Amino acid sequence: MNAIFRRELKGYFLTPTAYLFLVVFLALSGLLFYLNNLVTRGSDLMPFFSMLSYVWMLLSPVLVVKLLAGERQQMTDQLLITSPLSSAAIVLGKFLAAGVVLLLFVLIMLAYPIIISLYARVWVGEVFTACLGFLLQGFAFVALDLMVTGFMRRSASAVAAALGVNLFVWLVGLLANAPFVPSAINRLFSFFSLYGRFVPFLSAQLSFASALYFILFCAVCLVITISAMELRRVKQS
Amino acid sequence: MIQAEHITRRYGAFEAVKDISFTVRVGEVVGLLGQNGAGKTTALHVLAGYLAPSAGSVRVNGIDLAKKPQEAKRHLGYLPETIPLYPELTAAEYLRFCCDIKSVHPQDREQHIQEIMALTDILDVKDQLSGTLSKGYRQRLGLAQALCGSPEALLMDEPTAGFDPVQSHAFRRLVRKLSKKHAIILSSHLLSEVQEVCDRVLMIASGRLVMDQAVAEDTQQKPRFRLVVSGPSSLVLPPLRQLPGVRRVELVQRGSAEKTTFIVEVEKDSAFQQALFKLLSGLSVPIMELSPLGDSLEELFLRVSSGQTPEALS
Repeated sequence: MNAIFRRELKGYFLTPTAYLFLVVFLALSGLLFYLNNLVTRGSDLMPFFSMLSYVWMLLSPVLVVKLLAGERQQMTDQLLITSPLSSAAIVLGKFLAAGVVLLLFVLIMLAYPIIISLYARVWVGEVFTACLGFLLQGFAFVALDLMVTGFMRRSASAVAAALGVNLFVWLVGLLANAPFVPSAINRLFSFFSLYGRFVPFLSAQLSFASALYFILFCAVCLVITISAMELRRVKQS
Repeated sequence: MIQAEHITRRYGAFEAVKDISFTVRVGEVVGLLGQNGAGKTTALHVLAGYLAPSAGSVRVNGIDLAKKPQEAKRHLGYLPETIPLYPELTAAEYLRFCCDIKSVHPQDREQHIQEIMALTDILDVKDQLSGTLSKGYRQRLGLAQALCGSPEALLMDEPTAGFDPVQSHAFRRLVRKLSKKHAIILSSHLLSEVQEVCDRVLMIASGRLVMDQAVAEDTQQKPRFRLVVSGPSSLVLPPLRQLPGVRRVELVQRGSAEKTTFIVEVEKDSAFQQALFKLLSGLSVPIMELSPLGDSLEELFLRVSSGQTPEALS
């Protein structure tokens, strides 16, 4: 797992992927910060974090696509699968590498609260919980997109599929609050919504239930990814 | 040692590999032959653990690949047809990664990589990005990758594709050298290469193993001749079959009375030519042509590929 983790992390920074990603993410987060805080001269960062999670939803497939679908497209998966590594070690190594890139972005994102702190009071606990929630939600999207792209053979179709699934997850969050949806389904959608689970963190609540949900969500997605990889050896056409 | 026991691999209803069994021991180089789509790559994928067999089992050094995949794969090196390179890594970085995933001890890693690079003759490009290497170097880097961890069994899918004649020659010498410590299976379309480098040939047709025999046995034990005579086949064929040393006669072309062509398979070191001259002079049938057929492996390949079983050929 360690070897895969190091190679993937190195792969991100030896190719333009991480840098392009960084540029786009910083440009979009900078724009959101400008619109939410600089134009309105407000110090409340929560709407900024809330909107940033949508940005991550759009960018996560691009970060994740090379990990499994990219390997299949380049046929380097033959090297990994015929090596003594287990499928679990391969998937976990890749997931952690993408997670570290996400963590790096969160650290860079801390520049915005620091800028605010120069002119107004910033509640450290509030920023901490928002960052933690963003990180957990980001990990959940990475795991989800890793699972979706793991089923694909081509990078382009993998990105399209992962984006589609992310948008569906977003729709589930919207439908959870829709008045025309029956209350039972409403509650079900609310329970599973990745966005709904992020809301407590934006209200400075360190929600253990939501944190546990994100962790379990990641675990389920990773187990499916590993199982699909194993199953492909048997069923691949 | 690598052992395939009744392996079958299905893609849906289609059986790409059907009930194949063989054993390759350390010290043996085995050529895997077959037409495109015959099932060679699928068979290698199953042997390498990239695909699971639908039925049957693969054992590497006696370890079942399905039951203990991690342990069995430590003894396997696989060079796929498409070299699995990461273009952003240099040749040395790539081999470091390969050593890491094959659990080579970190203390031995650099020494091991130096040895493999020297063996595959890629030391001069060790700091070059693998994505910028020429086809020949990429192929050799792929081979170096397969050698990481010193596996006992080596599987190579079209290993000399992209080699120039000098590189092909060097590769054959390398394979002979490696064969002392490895069990090697290589698939190739170059029959001359298989004939030169392999001890044994496995031929696959439509997913079935249709031939498993030693190369020397095939190419040296059954000399074949093309015989063209000016006379009717009905006159020549019966006594020709009775000649001492003749194993089999095939009437290739029943032309006009002036020209008939036969393929004659004879025993090695038989006095076939002298007997033939005596027979045909006695029949007053002039010989228009008598020529040895050069590449019997190629002949055999063409015949097996066209649907004849090896039994029918002998």
